[in-house]
Amino acid sequence: MLGEFEYVLITAAAGLGENAYGAAIREEIESTAGRKCSMGALYTTIDRLETKGLLKTWMGEATPQRGGRAKRMVRVTAQGVRAAKEFYDTVIRVSRGAAWVENRTGRTS
Amino acid sequence: MSTVAWPLVELAAKLLDRNEREAVLGDLQETNEVAWRSFLEVFGLVLRRQAALWKSPRPWLAGFVVALPCSYLLTYVSVSVSCTWLRLVDHKTYGWHWPTGHEGFPLLLCHIFLLIAWSWTGGYLVASLSRQTLWVSAALSVLHSISAMGMWPSDALPRLCLFLFFLPAILGVHHGLRNVRISLPAASLLAFTMTVLMISAWSYEALWALNWALILPALYLVTAAWQSQTRTAELRVR
Repeated sequence: MLGEFEYVLITAAAGLGENAYGAAIREEIESTAGRKCSMGALYTTIDRLETKGLLKTWMGEATPQRGGRAKRMVRVTAQGVRAAKEFYDTVIRVSRGAAWVENRTGRTS
Repeated sequence: MSTVAWPLVELAAKLLDRNEREAVLGDLQETNEVAWRSFLEVFGLVLRRQAALWKSPRPWLAGFVVALPCSYLLTYVSVSVSCTWLRLVDHKTYGWHWPTGHEGFPLLLCHIFLLIAWSWTGGYLVASLSRQTLWVSAALSVLHSISAMGMWPSDALPRLCLFLFFLPAILGVHHGLRNVRISLPAASLLAFTMTVLMISAWSYEALWALNWALILPALYLVTAAWQSQTRTAELRVR
């Protein structure tokens, strides 16, 4: 199963679609998850997910605002989508009845 | 981004793969990170990458099983060759604790050839085992040689003599990094010649027992060349 940061990264990359690359994913994570994302964590996780076959990466275009340097583009694979869905379903399932969940079903406090 | 600090960031990024360096530096420029934060970001990534490399046994082998013990032995051989040369050519005299004694020119030539061959094969092996942690292996070798300086008085032997083995070792590293292929006959001839010379030196009591360990990199070369030849032959059959 995915780790929490792996799930966040896959979700951010999937949300960005064709525009998913290092800096954009990082910005997306920092703005939506509200936490700092270091380059080290980002790129090592991207590598790990690619090794697992959950992401595919390739070197994209270079732009002047990047000093003529290429982007590392990221795409979530079908296997990555399945893994993210499995993680999400598991979190939802285990969270049912938890004290911090609104509109809880099942257990009463 | 401060133009003064940016070269520092680029220097730290040199330890990353080419593509990763390109992507990371581009990201930092695009997001307009301040220089010190960019440096920390790159340095953090480099640390993670380096730490991941050490999960494999190869960097440990290259640094602590090959580079460090070889430096220890080769520093000693460098001192031995240097003071034998000075004794024979400059007629200097050395005390009993110096690694020179009865050797004449033939044994000196034998030691010079062995020093070059041991250093070159050792350097080649270190670079072949783990190129990305080469800087650690190199640092271990240099630190050992510097620490050995205290053992040999500088008035009797120039300091640089301790580093005689560095030149062939660097050449070996260079060839190892470039993956220069060595044919099986060439590797076998080298290992055979080294063995014969080592036996000769041994029979004249001019070889330390531990120096036999220095033949291992040459045997690695023979094994690697043999494996490469077998693989090529298999591919041809297919």
